Amino acid sequence: MIRKIISGNEAVATAVKLARVGLTGIYPITPQTSIIEKLAEMKAQGEIQTEIVRVESEHSAMAATYGAALAGIRAFTATASQGLLYMHEMVWWVAGSRVPVVMVVGTRAVGAPWNIWNEHTDFTSERDSGWIMAFASNPQEALDLTIQAFRISEDERVFLPVMVGMDGFILSHTKTNVLIPDQEQIDDYLPPRRQPYVIDPEDPVEIGNMFPPEGYMKLRESIHLALKNSEDIIRQHGREYNKKVSPMIDYSTLNSSYRLEDADYAVVLMGAWAGDAMEAIDVLREKGIKIGMLRVRYLRPWSEKEIRENLEGKKGVLVLDRSTSFGRGGPLYIEVKSTIRDTEVKDIVTGLGGVTVGKSDMIYLFSKFVEGIKEDVTWYYPKEVGKLDVRTPRDIE
Amino acid sequence: MTLGLREILNKHNSLISGTAACPGCPENMAMRMLGMGLGKDTVVVVVAGCSSIIQGNAPYNSYNLPVVNIAFAAGPAAASGLARAYKQKGKDVNVVVWAGDGGTADIGFASLSGAAERNEDIIYVCVDNEAYMNSGGQRSGSTPLGAITSTTPEGKKENKKNLPFLMVSHNVPYVATASVGYPHDYIQKLKRAKEIDGFRYIHVLTPDPYGWLFDPSRTAEIAKLAVQTCYWPLFEYYNGKITVSQECLHCLDKRTRRPIKDFLSVQGRFKRVKEDDIAKLEKYIDDMWEKIKELM
Repeated sequence: MIRKIISGNEAVATAVKLARVGLTGIYPITPQTSIIEKLAEMKAQGEIQTEIVRVESEHSAMAATYGAALAGIRAFTATASQGLLYMHEMVWWVAGSRVPVVMVVGTRAVGAPWNIWNEHTDFTSERDSGWIMAFASNPQEALDLTIQAFRISEDERVFLPVMVGMDGFILSHTKTNVLIPDQEQIDDYLPPRRQPYVIDPEDPVEIGNMFPPEGYMKLRESIHLALKNSEDIIRQHGREYNKKVSPMIDYSTLNSSYRLEDADYAVVLMGAWAGDAMEAIDVLREKGIKIGMLRVRYLRPWSEKEIRENLEGKKGVLVLDRSTSFGRGGPLYIEVKSTIRDTEVKDIVTGLGGVTVGKSDMIYLFSKFVEGIKEDVTWYYPKEVGKLDVRTPRDIE
Repeated sequence: MTLGLREILNKHNSLISGTAACPGCPENMAMRMLGMGLGKDTVVVVVAGCSSIIQGNAPYNSYNLPVVNIAFAAGPAAASGLARAYKQKGKDVNVVVWAGDGGTADIGFASLSGAAERNEDIIYVCVDNEAYMNSGGQRSGSTPLGAITSTTPEGKKENKKNLPFLMVSHNVPYVATASVGYPHDYIQKLKRAKEIDGFRYIHVLTPDPYGWLFDPSRTAEIAKLAVQTCYWPLFEYYNGKITVSQECLHCLDKRTRRPIKDFLSVQGRFKRVKEDDIAKLEKYIDDMWEKIKELM
């Protein structure tokens, strides 16, 4: 294992290399682009054998990846924002076909208006598509989770595609120390690809053809059950990763917690800003406020068990959403609220479209929450952003 | 040298009896001939359309080949992935995209164009029934001028998008046109395509009794009439040159062409066609043959 200073995108490209991916469908979109550029560079220098298909759109990127996966080779693609929305149709098609595929999403706001900065809405809006959805909080996790994604996706008890989210720019472009596993370690962890059906003239099978209602609904249920049951399988592969590759980050649970055990109050969030939240928690702890954090690492499957165990019995739970479900609040909040009982849950939607929410904002938000605020949903703006005046049609008379 | 049909066909039966096709279905005919031309080592990517219905309800299936059913715009890209995966595994498989004129000329054109530009090692077969027949016969980019469809009840105002020429402009190694009225010609083109590497495009005219409004017993006859009246050319574009099939050599000279009215009058969809529209159609045909002659 070697230590290298690389960005999140380079970490993902490295994971693709280590996983011995057979084909990558590539189409550039900010902030994911440098993943595929790195892969193309590796290919040009003969470092990887991966077949690279330079397609003309994200829709085709997912379709080409799907085709290769059907023919029985390991396949990968990456996208973001509008690109993910453009491939939405194929995202569903792949999950419906129960074909192992791995994708990384460098999260970003969705237009209109144009905005290239970080937000989780593109990612969370795919939560009903039947994919397993992991979310990294640093480049190291982006690498580890991408490798684990292949293992989980190709497990015969799962056979579902997996997407790994990663905060655009904040992780994708920021360089930090990353421990890169050796090829032998990954070969030991990740066996060659196996799948129950391969499209091949030697054994003709059909996939995706017209299904009568009863059969269709049964298939839908099979996806639901596979996704639900993948919870334990993810923990199992996480433990194995800790044993065979690296014990540095604990992957034995779907979610990660910080100073939560003895906490009266809990904060729930997903992604890179967990770092700021941890620092804020340390500050508040020094002031005597008993607060902790639960970081959602898997949005799907949603581990009700872990969420309940960690949050029930707390005096209050504050959810920080970097995404929206308009007219309703944040998707994470909706999930948490529907999981735990007898505990007050409050939601803050913030950090959209790249709005910076740092340690001081978190200290402010957390302490206000502990003091007690009653509204269900609040949109929070850091000071300078709060002063901005954006005119909307309702304001114009 | 021209061989009889019995001699040229591959013994592989690509279509099992009892398909869900309508009586007189030309796509059924074209699919049967696909197996005759390409043989057993073939994978078909079927893009949404009549062909995904003809296949039948799972678990039953009337195609005797591995089939990947897929959304409209994804066919050529999925086929690219399949073809490259087979190459990586050292397998010799004909990867075929099977799409209608809507999937080809309209919603799927970007991915078709992309795969052609990348010169992917796939065969693209467009079965052209000149409207969105599977959704009830709406206008497509490939519907001819004057034809009545459910979204152009007054007759279409624009000419047909000429896809074979568009594909020739993509500089792909092989482009051919065919008609289910001439199985011999179509099967030979499939066999030729099989021998060539890179992107191959075959555009088959498949007259649809229900959209074109003629009796289902006359499908083959109408498919022949389209060629005889020079409305539908039969050619091969290969090595930068067009070769016209003998069935339509008479079209090269305007004086020997059969009148277009003979083709229009047997179909209900042209019943409201006006004289000046017929003149426009004749002009379209003249221009098309001029272009073909330029490339010969």
